[in-house]
Amino acid sequence: MTPTPPPTADAPTLTAPPPVLALDRLTRRYGTLTAVDDVSLKLAPGARHAVIGPNGAGKTTLLNLIAGTDRPDHGTIALDGADITRKPTAKRSRLGIARSFQQPSVIAELSVLENVVLAGWPHHPQHRGAWRRPSRYRLHKESASRHLETVGLADLAHRPAATLSHGRRRMLDLAAALAGNPRLLLLDEPAAGLTDGDIGRLLGIIGALPSDVAVVLVEHHVEVVAELATSVTVLAAGKVLVDGPTQEVLAHPEVREAYHGTAPSTGPDEPRARTIPTVCPSPTDARG
Amino acid sequence: MELLDAHLVPAVDGVAFGLLLFVVAAGLSLAFGTAGVLNLSHGTLYAIGAYTGAELSDGTWGGLALGLAAGTAAACVAGAGLSAATAPLARRGHLAQALLTFGLALIGGDLLIQFFGADELPVRVPEALDSSVNLLGHRYPAYRLCFIVMAVLLAAFGTWVLTRTRMGAAVRAAADDPQMLAATGHSPRAVHTGVLAAAGALAGAAGVLGAPIIGPGPGTSETVLMLSLVVVVLGGLRSLWATFFAAVAVGEVQTLGVSVAPELAPYLLFAAMAAVLVLRSRFAEPTEAGAGHGSEGSGPDPVARLRGLLAGRLPGPKRPSVRLGRPPGHDRAPAWSSRLPGRAAWWQAAPLLVLLVVLIALPALLDAYSISLAGSALALGLLAISVTVLTGYAGLPTLGQTAPFAVGAYATANLADAGWTVGPVQIVLSALAAAAFAAVVGPAVIRARGTTVLMITLAIGELTGAVVNQLKSVTGGADGLVGFPATRALWGGEGMLEESELYNYALVVAVVAVALTLLVLHSPAGKLLTGTRGAEARMRASGHPVGRYLLVAHVCAGALAGVAGSLMVTVQQYLSPADVGFEIAAFALLAVVIGGTTSVIGALLGAGLIVATRDWVAGSWPGHGPLLLGVLFVATVYVLPRGLAGLRSGGPGGGGESGRPSGTTGAPGTPGAPGISGDPGGPRGSHGSDSAAAEEQPPSVPAPTRAGKVSP
Repeated sequence: MTPTPPPTADAPTLTAPPPVLALDRLTRRYGTLTAVDDVSLKLAPGARHAVIGPNGAGKTTLLNLIAGTDRPDHGTIALDGADITRKPTAKRSRLGIARSFQQPSVIAELSVLENVVLAGWPHHPQHRGAWRRPSRYRLHKESASRHLETVGLADLAHRPAATLSHGRRRMLDLAAALAGNPRLLLLDEPAAGLTDGDIGRLLGIIGALPSDVAVVLVEHHVEVVAELATSVTVLAAGKVLVDGPTQEVLAHPEVREAYHGTAPSTGPDEPRARTIPTVCPSPTDARG
Repeated sequence: MELLDAHLVPAVDGVAFGLLLFVVAAGLSLAFGTAGVLNLSHGTLYAIGAYTGAELSDGTWGGLALGLAAGTAAACVAGAGLSAATAPLARRGHLAQALLTFGLALIGGDLLIQFFGADELPVRVPEALDSSVNLLGHRYPAYRLCFIVMAVLLAAFGTWVLTRTRMGAAVRAAADDPQMLAATGHSPRAVHTGVLAAAGALAGAAGVLGAPIIGPGPGTSETVLMLSLVVVVLGGLRSLWATFFAAVAVGEVQTLGVSVAPELAPYLLFAAMAAVLVLRSRFAEPTEAGAGHGSEGSGPDPVARLRGLLAGRLPGPKRPSVRLGRPPGHDRAPAWSSRLPGRAAWWQAAPLLVLLVVLIALPALLDAYSISLAGSALALGLLAISVTVLTGYAGLPTLGQTAPFAVGAYATANLADAGWTVGPVQIVLSALAAAAFAAVVGPAVIRARGTTVLMITLAIGELTGAVVNQLKSVTGGADGLVGFPATRALWGGEGMLEESELYNYALVVAVVAVALTLLVLHSPAGKLLTGTRGAEARMRASGHPVGRYLLVAHVCAGALAGVAGSLMVTVQQYLSPADVGFEIAAFALLAVVIGGTTSVIGALLGAGLIVATRDWVAGSWPGHGPLLLGVLFVATVYVLPRGLAGLRSGGPGGGGESGRPSGTTGAPGTPGAPGISGDPGGPRGSHGSDSAAAEEQPPSVPAPTRAGKVSP
């Protein structure tokens, strides 16, 4: 649960369990643009960590680096102490990293249930031979149904995913991520475009995750961050601006300036963000 | 020094050839990169220029100038016409446009032969140039040196326009972000027309000037198209310089390579291409993954960037054609894997059963010639199904399935020659050989997406064709193979000679192959492919080894194509390179498109229609088979945007024999029949802005739902 100190001041980890995720001096450049610049981070099991920052700060790139859809130019990524820097995305997923996408990624032609079945397939204890054995495939459907209930889509299980509204697609994407029974869950702006009711549900789902699942949350809604995260990293132009416990970071003058002074311009769904305080308690209420 | 001396002439020839290819390929690359049109009629534009130039050049400077002006203008007008023809299809994806241009190429080729005759036209150059000059002690045609100068000027002028002028800036902007260009007050439509007209002019000018090098004749357009495609694939749309070096390299291989190592030249091209593709996919891998899920997609590799661009321009959700007002009861309809075949399942199977009955009855209804045609149609149908598996399920639109098809065909012919005449043995061994081939070339194919796959597979198919022509000991070269022993249906049987016998054999093999394919596609394995095509990023992020799935699909499709090739040899009892040529690949793709990309029965019917058009209808109007087929292509693209399966979408389980689960929900117009209305590979995994998706609903869909959209 220790927030992540900069690499130089490596906190004593004698009593703490080994980190689920350890990023060491991660750097990713696109041509002359350095999207992620020398970022280090350690997450204990069960950590709830948020990454915030203005647009273009490198938040999504950081998630992509962790998930494996992008490769760092420098630095290493370790999961449970094992180096996964060169492992492909699919392998990382099987090792326990799941993610949601900024643009919810659903298979429009398949039913909602089948989307989750496919997402959970490689993680199911009986995944071998499922493609030709109907009985195994039925087992997969049962566990997929449970995940759909979690996100509140059970009623729509047999609809084609193409018919879902944007918010429900996001929930389906989340169900697909949960279907992997991950040890590390990466959420890329999970609250963007959701209704207040769905945000409430989202908070409930993440709150109810097993206590050993670590979560990395990229989010613009400060209120959601305050509610969910115990520690926060603020990125600006790829660099770590501040990190530490949520309350401290959110009270940090530079962060306040970024989020309250020159705040919005975070995309089409931003105006909706202003309605959130009705759902979220004040930042002081954050879990500690 | 002596070595250099001996090969000086071919080396300089190579430069001239390469420059010619550069000018042509630059036009192709321009049309593809900025207007988004994979122009398969680009070679025809060259041929227009070449024919016009040859006709008007009378050996004087004035004649050449007149020819140049007229040829360029004619090809330019043709390019503009092409723009008008493809513009309405811009929202339907690149596959539709590529097919349309291929149809137009067939029509254009036929018309050119009408006007100018089927013989190669002699080309006269101005007398001043019709001589030899002394080049380091060698006699060298003056015209070629002059051509080198002119081509360099042309290339320099084009580069200058593109990089230094406002117009060029607009064109480059159109490649990057057409919407932004429109917002700055330039009409993307005008840019589209201008780019295609300019590409046409380039091809036309190259045709007039290059006529003495690649002369006007019936095979011109195909040769030019293939070589320039190879150049574009090798150059990788990276930059004009990369295209330039690729063009000169190809030119040198075609001239110097032939003179140094005549036997190896075709393989050189093949090897160079394979090496470049594999190397590039190595480097591009992480970027591709990044572009795959619709993130910025502006990685350093232009091909990946282009891919991202295509993906951004053609968001996936445009496919859904779900209508409002669906009866609520259908939501609870059993999903795909309900074990008892319900009424919906019978609905799906019914057309296949009807077709089967008709096919069984066929020998009693037709004369011997027609029956043998029907046998060929079955073989082509299997090939089309293998294209369906790749195009419709795996999302890899392919023009290169004739390569494993050829492997299977030549394997069977050689097996028969060696005395292995038992049918099942031939089939299995041919399938294995084709599968092995597909496994080898697979890695180059499965890393690309969308139209890039079309180009890569096209090149693979074409280069395989070149190898077939070259490897005379195995393939008989251009003469083909004939006179090998007839196949025996089973062990201990007699060789089959009767048409009806052969037809029945083909039918049994086809039924078994189709049944196996349907079984696999209907199993959850088919769903893995659907998921991979629909949301690759999600599949990867969920731990699915997507590349492995695609490779397996590629190998299985290759095996199926191998079976098709084996069947074709058995049925027609001879084999020539034309049987495994580019036309057949295009026919297979057309058959698939006629059927509606994910429909197995559609592919079979499409193949039947094509064979009927080519061999029956054209029989009553000799020499115009290509014209009729071209018309068929064009008509299909315009009239049947979703193929035959689209026609059925009003009924329960529309197009449902494809194994799509949504079909069994019994919902009318369920999503998932991409047809050619969606580039099956282009939008993979991209989920662009919903507002853009809503705009891009195909016009044929009556009431696209907006329920799923956040209003913009």
